[in-house]
Parts: sequence; C-alpha cells; structure tokens
Amino acid sequence: MKNRFYRYILKMFLFIAIVQLFSCSPKACYEDTESLLKANFYGYSTLKTAAPDSVTMYGLSMESDKLYNKTANLQPARIPLNASSPKCTYIIRINGVTDTIQLWYSSYPHLISKECGYAFFHNLDSLTYTKNKIDSISKSNSNITTINVENIRIFY
Amino acid sequence: MLRISGYFISLLLISFCSLKTVQAQDTIQFPLKIRGGLELSGPAIYLSDKNIMSYEGYVSGDINEKVSAVFAAGYLNRKYSQSDIDNNYEYLTSGMFFRTGLDFNLVNPKKSMGRYWAGIGLRYGVSVFSSENPSIKKENYWGISAMSVAPQTKWGHFLEVSPGARAEIFKNVSIGWNISIRRLLYNGAGDDLRPVYLPGFGNGTKKFSSGVAYYIVWNIPYKKIRVITKVEEPETSDETDGTGTTGSGQNSPGMVQKPINNR
Repeated sequence: MKNRFYRYILKMFLFIAIVQLFSCSPKACYEDTESLLKANFYGYSTLKTAAPDSVTMYGLSMESDKLYNKTANLQPARIPLNASSPKCTYIIRINGVTDTIQLWYSSYPHLISKECGYAFFHNLDSLTYTKNKIDSISKSNSNITTINVENIRIFY
Repeated sequence: MLRISGYFISLLLISFCSLKTVQAQDTIQFPLKIRGGLELSGPAIYLSDKNIMSYEGYVSGDINEKVSAVFAAGYLNRKYSQSDIDNNYEYLTSGMFFRTGLDFNLVNPKKSMGRYWAGIGLRYGVSVFSSENPSIKKENYWGISAMSVAPQTKWGHFLEVSPGARAEIFKNVSIGWNISIRRLLYNGAGDDLRPVYLPGFGNGTKKFSSGVAYYIVWNIPYKKIRVITKVEEPETSDETDGTGTTGSGQNSPGMVQKPINNR
C-alpha cells in the first residue's frame, strides 16, 4: 500500500508539473480590441439606409492620412476616436460635398482579456456638424465599444 | 403513559443490544491530527520570476477519520506587463487571500491511518486586494493614447474544488499536491476593470481558473479515536447471529471494511 501510494504521488507530481509548464505558455489574442464609432448613412427623404457613391473622411489637420478615400458603398463608417482628448473633428466628403463633424465624448479603459489587454471605450455626449450635404445626424447608441452596434445615423 | 414508557424501555434495550453487537466487530485506533502546511511552488516560482511573489499556508484539523476542517491564508504580489505595439499595459496587484472549507478523505481509514490522504477538498475563498494600472497605451488613427488607473482596494469571492493526495514521508511530515478548480463568484471590480490577477484565484478575467499546489505538511496527532469497521453481510450467508456480521476482524474476499461509528 505504502509503496504504491508513493509511486502514485510521484507520477501525479510529474504529470501535473509537465501540464503546468505547458499551460504557462502565452496565448494569442483573437478578440477585437478597437472601439469604433459606427455611423450608418440614411437617405433623408426615404429614411432608409443608403450608402453614398463616394465617401472621403479624415481627421482635422490629417488630410494626408485619410481614413476613407473615395470609398464606395460604405455602410457603416467605422470611426476611431482620440482617447487622449474629449473631442475630435472629422472632415467628411459625401459624393464630393464636404462637411465637418465634431464629436464630444468621455473615454475609459475596458479590459478585454489578459491576452488582448484593454480597449478604450467611449460615451458619446454630443456632436455638431455642418449642413452642406448632411441633412441631420441622430444618436442611436451613446456607448461606443467593440460591439458592432450603430452609434449614429447620418441623413444626407 | 405506560405504553410510551414501554416503547422507550424497548428502544433502550434494542440500542444496548446493537451496541454490544457493534463492539464485537473490528476496531482500529485512528489518530486525529492537526496539520500545518506550506505551499512550495509559490516560493519556487519567485526564484525564477521576481514579478510573481506568492506565499500560502494552511492549518487543518481532523473532525473524524474522513473529514478535516481547513483554513488557508496567503499573499500575492504580482506585476504583469504586455508590450505589443498596439496593446501595451502594466498591471500591479497585491493582496491577501483566505480559503476555508472541508477536506474529505476517500481512503479507507484502516489503510490511511492518518498517514495517507487521497480525496477532495471544498473551499470558499475571499481575496482582499489592491490593483492598479500605471499605464495603458493604445495606438489608433489618432496616434498613441495613454491612461492610468489609480490603486483601488477590492474584494473578490470564489469557490474551489481541489482533489489531491498526501502521504507521510517521515514521522509526522507529509508531502502532497492539490489540483484546484475555481469558480469566480464576484471579482469586486465591475465589468470594465476586471482584475487581470485575483490573489488566490488566478486570472480574474475568466469565470473559471485552475491551478496546482504542492505542500509540505507537519502533522501533530492530538487524539486517538476508535473507528469501528463493519464487515458487510454476504448476501447468501446464513443468519448465524441475527446481525449479519461475523465479528472476525479479518478482511476476506467479498467483505468490505466500512467505518460506521467513531469516538
């Protein structure tokens, strides 16, 4: 009994040590870690979703680094916000007509997982815009997270 | 009233007869022990990785030959950092954790005699810890954004099932191991800032965690109890003494040792 029990203990010691060694290897991140504002385009007369023929979009003073450049059938536009600032401004050109959208928000860290680390989530407080091509913009969901949910509707 | 007294006297007589019968069976003197154990893998890991400091010890006391009450306490101080280009963060946690519960020995008392333990432990755990993020950096279209989270004290709660084994290697000194499977009940930090490491639990971003602990244990016998083992009645045997037990005290094929009483 005694010898059998000691052998059993020793074998289990070794087995568990080996399993533990392999379980310590770092795991990869397979989750989405970037929270983006999702903006859907709507026709103001039909009130139905309508992707513009061409959308160009870039941050204020960042014309050389365009987020979208004459992109066709864009639906929705996925717009990153600046977590270091309470606001950010985008220049948007819909079918060749330029408008400006300014977004006000608060940001906070959200842990996705140990492997993926943190995402910066946002609460959209308010927004202002010019009305050259845009008719109106409405808020659908103020919580800007990694979940694929519409946050604003752009009527043009 | 007379009838009640009659029943009562009959019950006493039956009990007395049963007791006499039980005393005729096998008995063993089983040593009950108080134990103090130290977890070994924590200090061993610290020797190779100075970012993980973990110490844990426990005391347990046998309630009877099968069940022990356990109280464990430990301390964890952990620094974790990740430095990917687009996902870069530091996490610090330190705190105490406590577990309490019962250990159930599944080894036959006649074979274990307080020296061998193979069984399962059930625990309730509490973690009191402080965590902080000195820096969280992320890169996106606007460049690198940075935030930090100040230290906050939190309480976490969890349940644990821990099968394992332990054997005496010298007089009153045992070694053993436990596998722990834990279920987080409450992380104490809400959904946004779940603890990357919860002292005593492990990865606090998951509902379940597992781990292994290796112990060296000092045993102090404090009391001996008489454990009566019963030899089960063979189904086809003749009824010789009206109780179905042989009272021989010998193990024989088809008979199972079974503790039925103590103290």
